[in-house]
Amino acid sequence: MNAIWLLMGLLLLAYMGSFLVGGQSIRGFGLPSGAEYLVLGLLLGPHMLGLLQRSTVADFQPFAEAGAGWVALVVGLDYGFVGQRRVKLRNLALGSLLSLAAGALIALAVYAALAALSTMDRGELLLCAGGVGAACAETTRHAVRWVMQRHDASGPLSTLLAELADSDDAVPILATALLFALRPSAHLPWQASALGWAALTLGLGALLGLAAALLLGRDFRLDESWGVLLGASVLAIGLSTRLGLSTMTTLFAFGVAIATVSPHRDEVWAMVEPTERTVLQPLLLLAGARIDADAVPAGFWVIGAALAARVLAKGATGLALRASAPARAAPPALGLGLLSTGAVCLSIGLIFALRFPGRVGDTVLVVAAATTIFGEFVGPPLLRSALRRAGEIAARSTSSIITPFPFRLTLPPAARRPTAPSPPGPPPAPPPEDAP
Amino acid sequence: MSPPPSTPPRPPSTPPPGPASAPPSSSPPTSALAAKGLSTRLLQGGLLLLFFGLLYGVSRAAPHPGPHGGTAAALGFLLLAGTLASELLEPLRLPHLTGYMAAGVLAGPHVLHLIDHGAVDDVSSVNALALSLIALAGGAELKVDVIRRSLRGLSWAMALHSTLGFAALTGVFYACRSLMPFVRPMAAPAAFGVALLWGALAVSRSPSATLAILSQTRASGPLARHTLAFVMTSDVVVLAQLALTTAAARPLLEPGSTFSTAELGSLGYEMLGSVAIGTALGLVLALYLRLIGQQLLLVLIALGFGATEVLRYLHFDAMLTFVVAGFVVQNLSQQGDALLRAVGRTAGLVFVVFFATAGAHLDLPLLRKLWPVALILVSSRVVVTWALARASAALAREEPLIRHWGWSGLVSQAGLTLGMSLIIERSFPAFGAPFRALAIAAVAFNEVLGPILFKYALDRAGETGHAQARPGH
Repeated sequence: MNAIWLLMGLLLLAYMGSFLVGGQSIRGFGLPSGAEYLVLGLLLGPHMLGLLQRSTVADFQPFAEAGAGWVALVVGLDYGFVGQRRVKLRNLALGSLLSLAAGALIALAVYAALAALSTMDRGELLLCAGGVGAACAETTRHAVRWVMQRHDASGPLSTLLAELADSDDAVPILATALLFALRPSAHLPWQASALGWAALTLGLGALLGLAAALLLGRDFRLDESWGVLLGASVLAIGLSTRLGLSTMTTLFAFGVAIATVSPHRDEVWAMVEPTERTVLQPLLLLAGARIDADAVPAGFWVIGAALAARVLAKGATGLALRASAPARAAPPALGLGLLSTGAVCLSIGLIFALRFPGRVGDTVLVVAAATTIFGEFVGPPLLRSALRRAGEIAARSTSSIITPFPFRLTLPPAARRPTAPSPPGPPPAPPPEDAP
Repeated sequence: MSPPPSTPPRPPSTPPPGPASAPPSSSPPTSALAAKGLSTRLLQGGLLLLFFGLLYGVSRAAPHPGPHGGTAAALGFLLLAGTLASELLEPLRLPHLTGYMAAGVLAGPHVLHLIDHGAVDDVSSVNALALSLIALAGGAELKVDVIRRSLRGLSWAMALHSTLGFAALTGVFYACRSLMPFVRPMAAPAAFGVALLWGALAVSRSPSATLAILSQTRASGPLARHTLAFVMTSDVVVLAQLALTTAAARPLLEPGSTFSTAELGSLGYEMLGSVAIGTALGLVLALYLRLIGQQLLLVLIALGFGATEVLRYLHFDAMLTFVVAGFVVQNLSQQGDALLRAVGRTAGLVFVVFFATAGAHLDLPLLRKLWPVALILVSSRVVVTWALARASAALAREEPLIRHWGWSGLVSQAGLTLGMSLIIERSFPAFGAPFRALAIAAVAFNEVLGPILFKYALDRAGETGHAQARPGH
């Protein structure tokens, strides 16, 4: 398959993805993590059907970098918010702490497995284990929102979980900056430590985010704003790629800076949010096509160790949460409902594969993909069950997990629910045609 | 030059007669921007310097970005720097695309070298999308009734420029042949053959520059309408003329070869095929707009890249196909405005990237080498264009506005001319490379000068937002 056909395929996926966020479409279609596109990429990729050659996929490397960065920008803009409501500071800290603990445990397990079973040197071990830990630390906010929207869940536990899932993205994204800084690829005029490189990563994003916020100005003009936002974010992606920094961290800082400084955070969010799924699905396909399970040393054991550590970490998270008032009625398996990973996890896996081609990058990407697929089977059903046990899902909700076809279905006005208890989540997205 | 005829103020309730409809625009009218104060300009200048500084620092810290490594930075930088430069040049009443090009030239491989050749080439792949959108918008701007109304003027202008203009510019080139090292040693008939090719090249115009200026200024009125209709329709004539000239020049340039109609045959195939495919594409697009009407951005991107690639494979002309598609949507359906709106949303971004890349592509060392002869050819082209535009307007009894300013929009040259020079280079490898270099040098002048002239004329004719905001308009 040549590049132009791949491009057409990616655009088709983006087209389908954009319907998933249409203003009046029924939400909760497809799989929450988007794992089906990952599997599609894997099937089409060089290691299965061979329809996508490695060289063709390599041609799309700038797109993959940019896509991962864009995902991080969306996360950054939304960081500390659920919809237009600010996340409680306590939950922000708790979410970060829990993802730090989960990531550390997973990194330790992978480090031990690789140290025992592979020939990697210490530097590679650190990068690989750290990368897997960073990728697998989060619970995807998409899964939590997906279950809540699909099953009309609402209540204190739903709110808590949505806030935690939203808050736990910062730690893994920041960790990638530190890990990338262990192997700098550019030469600064001064001697920089790993922390210095990480600070440069954040500083670059924050500086360009600030510049973008200044250019957005006081009066919000949609067309001009797209130019500013795209220009500044693509410049941030390009500069950080060229310096070998983590594009995700740079763009995360970029998004946080805009959300913090610009008075137009809500408008920018409304512009950008509908594009996440549009970007994500082609990105997942590219990630799937890059997967090379054979390149992972002691693959079975490494994946097993990562999954076991993640189950342990999330299980413990659930038990810890049950001590809080909102989760008191939840079952002990609440934590396993948080096993879903998605956009952030796979994007981290992909940027590791791009930045450290070879066994380090391949290992991180393969484990990220395995964790996502595993989480897809376990997370949403257990989360639904936990929310039902907590009394936050009405008994009548019996929808199946997998919906066959993701095209827009618009309900007639009479059939639409009144605005009654809206789940904590982003407001209905505006039609994405406003994109440039 | 006598003072321009003024345009009476339009009553507010009357819709401006405008080019077909308001051209796709993403920029506020000039008058709105004029309100931006000194602090805003200082901020923009400071940020522009910051972006230059950042790119400079990074390109020194990581001088070898690897394949595709500098593409994203180049794209982002050109978008931002082009936009900011255009804003900063605005108080001088220069068109935005001059700012876009200035940013590209400055950052490009021949000046500061912040963006290397590889990155410029990578970013240029976006041009396929840009050209398709420009052509779609151009076609959609052409309404049958507008063309019918200005048919007389268009016919005269087309006839004079394609015959007398062609002949005059061929003559100027032939007269200057001793100044051009690659023509000097040629025998007179061969030199005349090269001059014929130059004549065909010189009568081409720039649809992209025309649409960019109309998009920025939101100009509406007889001058905008006339220029747009002429430039878009002259595309087809120019391509036919190039094929005819190539066939005629070949026996002069390659002794032993005879006049062949093969090139005309293939041109006929290309044009008829392009029109047929464009019609089908336009109908499908109109149907899509009517039945679904969503995600137009993705549909346009798919068309821009995918359809362009398919058309290239089939040896059809993508530009003509998209012009016809836009024309069909506008005139055979009621979806013309929807298409223009959709294209208009992307227009700002597309024009910045397109012209900033063109600026980065500008071969300054070559221009330094060829500027004297290029300048002679460019100035004579301006004079010939001015004279013929006046003559055709007089013959067609056009209104004074067209008679006075009609030539101003016909000076710009850009991608179409460069594409034609590439065709000539491939057809005549013996002198194709220096011929193309000269064409690039001439286009460089016209690309900078043309838009400035056109915007100035629109302002003076009272057809831009800026002019309409002035007292007395």
